[in-house]
Amino acid sequence: MTTDTSGITQVKFLVEPSIKVAPLIITWIPDAGKVGSGVCQYLIQNLGGFVFAEIEPVGFFPLDGVVVQDDVAQFPETKFYCCQQKDLLIVSSSLPRLEWYTFLTTILDVVDRICKVKEMYIIGGMASASAHTSPRALLTVANSSQTKGIIEPYDVVKDMEYETPEGQRPTLNSFLLWIAQRRGIPAVNLWVQVPFYLVARKDPQAWKEILHFLNQRLELGVDFAELDSMIAKQNQKIARARMESPELDRCLSCLECNLGLSTSESESLLRRMEELLDQQD
Amino acid sequence: MAIVLYREPELEDPILIASWPGIGNIGVIAVDTLRRALKAEELGEIEPWEFFYPKRVVIRDGILKTLAFPSSKFYFKRTQNCDLLFFIGEEQPDSGTKLYAEGAKAYKMANLVVDVALKFGCRRIYTSGAAVAPIHHTTSPRVWAVPNNSLLLKEMKNFQNVVLMSDIEGHGGQGNITGLNGLLLGVAKRRGVDAVCLMGEIPIYLHGFPIPYPKGSRAVVEVLSKILGVTVDMTELDVFVERTGKEIEAVYSRLPLEIREHLDKLVSMSYRGEVESGPITEEDKKKILQEIDKLFKRETSDD
Repeated sequence: MTTDTSGITQVKFLVEPSIKVAPLIITWIPDAGKVGSGVCQYLIQNLGGFVFAEIEPVGFFPLDGVVVQDDVAQFPETKFYCCQQKDLLIVSSSLPRLEWYTFLTTILDVVDRICKVKEMYIIGGMASASAHTSPRALLTVANSSQTKGIIEPYDVVKDMEYETPEGQRPTLNSFLLWIAQRRGIPAVNLWVQVPFYLVARKDPQAWKEILHFLNQRLELGVDFAELDSMIAKQNQKIARARMESPELDRCLSCLECNLGLSTSESESLLRRMEELLDQQD
Repeated sequence: MAIVLYREPELEDPILIASWPGIGNIGVIAVDTLRRALKAEELGEIEPWEFFYPKRVVIRDGILKTLAFPSSKFYFKRTQNCDLLFFIGEEQPDSGTKLYAEGAKAYKMANLVVDVALKFGCRRIYTSGAAVAPIHHTTSPRVWAVPNNSLLLKEMKNFQNVVLMSDIEGHGGQGNITGLNGLLLGVAKRRGVDAVCLMGEIPIYLHGFPIPYPKGSRAVVEVLSKILGVTVDMTELDVFVERTGKEIEAVYSRLPLEIREHLDKLVSMSYRGEVESGPITEEDKKKILQEIDKLFKRETSDD
């Protein structure tokens, strides 16, 4: 554990970027459609980001072993990236399991030490019963009416109504939005729809929806060529499979026409898509 | 992490009565019944965000309106006999691994409650919880009293329907009180405040039951009202007792006959006496709990 002079414990500062005011993007791992990691990595590759700080996992994660994902052992990590050319900060973090409040305030404390947060965007994917070929809605939740004004000009859903259903709890994103509100940081949750059968796989189209908004809002100059190629490749793969499997085609057509699927149809579609997307080209 | 007091009334040697939810919610129902019956006024709260995960978010027209947390509130009331403070926790702080609070968060919260008690010059704390006992749901529950100071034992024994751990067969004065209803006794002792935990009995076969057991709470309210010298209208609580009694009876009637026969032995069981048809063995106990568990799993999947 590193204790630095600022009094923020459990944080390892590698370098101190020189930025005065910056927008901040928060992404989580795991996330539906791998939206968090997809958006973060694409931005870093495109804009040239580097890691400037990390939060140690002790106290925020059970550390009772490791999770194996895609054949590789994973370990919780929280990294702070700086894209100096665009004065942009990005946090990519595993979802904490413990001490949410302390964890989230630590993130904001780390950023506070570097610069003032101009505005914050918290990224999330949400499962939807729609097809990958259907338009993806990007839903927004602002932490004040002034902040809502920031996103007014953009083509996003701005009138979301929601209350936590009985027996469920609010998300980490809502908690962070509230903490930002208390600290006077303008913040927006960005929720992109991810077809339920892509929740556990990559959904580059969902990444693009988020990236498109951020690119417009923050004038990042992102090059979408590589992402468009990923989207096209995945769509072609699914299209080929549809031609070979009338059942898969029927299910996807139903979703495209906003017709619901039975539980067994949904499960079968999910299995089929996972098998398909796991196949190496 | 802080205590927020909305007001600071002058209280004379107040008694604090505190509870958090636990088995059958016996303690928290008892304390809340007393608080409402005496029309205690809000005094303050413990800021929740370092102890709890949010419980509810409200978004209106795309804007975050509310993020609500479980409450941890203090109340006060001046009665003819004594001044009272109440503390009611809506949830026990989440340690992330256990059902009931433990570790640093639990210790911090217990200390904050004692901080308020001491600030107002408290001389005694009562907490309340559940005592899992080999009783039948048709019999009247007793109240187990556990003080944090041996000088209080005699005083507690003076109250009708109150038993000590040593009165319970097989306990020999030993046992444990899990969660904050117990921990508060220890923290109070450490800080020099007398405290007693009053635990209403709950039948052993109902302690994992997903509904409250207000019959146990009623027994606690009776004892507390005697201790404090206050009169409490039990009408509302009696309705609650009757309603849950019917729910328990409905589940009970669906248990296999063999299990019910075992459980019916508890009707005639007394703490120091033998059961006419032979005691329930550990093996019986295991079987009964498995059967009830099975029944609830069935009920849940039926929903």
